[in-house]
Amino acid sequence: MRPYEVFASRFGAKVAFNSQFILEKSQRYYLLNPRLKKVGQEDFFYAGLYLGKVGKNGGFFPSFNLLNMLVDVAANKIVVDRKAAWLFICGRDVFRTGIVKVMGSKRKGDAALVLNEFGECLGFGSIMDILNESEGKVAVKNVLDIGDFLRRETRGKF
Amino acid sequence: MSGKQFFIDRYAELGWKFKETELRQSIRINKTNAKSKNLPERLHSLGVALEKIPFLPEGYWIAKSKVSAGATAEYLLGMYSIQEAAAQIPATLFTALHGKMVLDGCAAPGGKTVQLADLMENSGAIIALDASKQRLVVMANHLERCHVSNTIIYNLDARQATKLNRTFNRILLDVPCSGNFASDSQWFYRRTLADLEQNSKVQREILSEAVKCLASEGEMVYSTCSLEPEEDELNMDWAVKNLGLQIQHIDCIGVNGLTEVFGRKLDSQVANCRRIWPEKTQGFFVCKLRKVPVQ
Repeated sequence: MRPYEVFASRFGAKVAFNSQFILEKSQRYYLLNPRLKKVGQEDFFYAGLYLGKVGKNGGFFPSFNLLNMLVDVAANKIVVDRKAAWLFICGRDVFRTGIVKVMGSKRKGDAALVLNEFGECLGFGSIMDILNESEGKVAVKNVLDIGDFLRRETRGKF
Repeated sequence: MSGKQFFIDRYAELGWKFKETELRQSIRINKTNAKSKNLPERLHSLGVALEKIPFLPEGYWIAKSKVSAGATAEYLLGMYSIQEAAAQIPATLFTALHGKMVLDGCAAPGGKTVQLADLMENSGAIIALDASKQRLVVMANHLERCHVSNTIIYNLDARQATKLNRTFNRILLDVPCSGNFASDSQWFYRRTLADLEQNSKVQREILSEAVKCLASEGEMVYSTCSLEPEEDELNMDWAVKNLGLQIQHIDCIGVNGLTEVFGRKLDSQVANCRRIWPEKTQGFFVCKLRKVPVQ
């Protein structure tokens, strides 16, 4: 299995891209459309839809394109209210009080997509203690959120 | 030769009386991502008041805002881009972009590339070039944020575009230029006539290379955010006379391109260019070119 397929399976999702439309460069994965496939050359910097990269520690860092694709196929999702959504984008964890709906796994350690009230994917997290009603407990630990685009500006990386 | 008064006198000679300009922040809605999202209303609920820019299909000025337009969830989800109003014009000048093979010659940081992809609804292919790898990092993030899927980026100087061995139906050349005082408060103290001449030389090299990649029925849009004729009308006059290009009439804000510059008469086609003196937007220059049909 390709790293992005393994990553998707953590959400109870299966992605199946036609491998001839996948480009890999420096452990980064890109999905091409048929037209781009024809023009694709080796020495590109970025191509098509970026899916994610394998980091130095061997872990897979998904792109937000991939997370978006998972919204319709992933089993594990939580919907959060407006305030929790804003805090999540700012890099904070999700508390039980901010969760509006839970779909799929509630098991500790599983991954879940975090969606706002409009069903838009804000990132993903690791389930900690989703059933606990007490206010001080983290329900979903933030792993990656769209605020990362702003953080990357300071880091100068993608 | 440089300094504020030097340039102000030049503008007067070109027929424009200098006035200070305060730019308004503007955004462009990415239609593909914002479809059925009711974006203006969502932004309104966040305390962002928008004002439609009358000459742009998807452009809005931010009339008032309680939040940073570059830090909302809607922005981070790629529903809109922050893009200066005049800078939104060039991509809209192409006809029938859907499914085309497009070259964006000087693409980073990618605002116009994202706009082209949006106008193409991610169909066809955009080949985007830029000489600066550091700027391409910013561009890659921009493309990911806006979910662009039809673009391939090369770290390549547009002066080497023929290395791609391709012809393009549409070419955008938003060339590196000296900029203008409206978007850079230190502009008058930074720029000299020698800079303009150096930029003009590079711009002509880019034009010469790009024209070799333009399909016979193709369209090329040339733009700068410079007010200096060396980078604008004089380059277009040169392109008409040396590259077999003709300048098309375009429907766009601004005034006609100058056909007489510092006592020198230019080809009458140069009037088809549009020169936008800073007022509601930054200073800008734009024109659309085609190859002269072979008889």
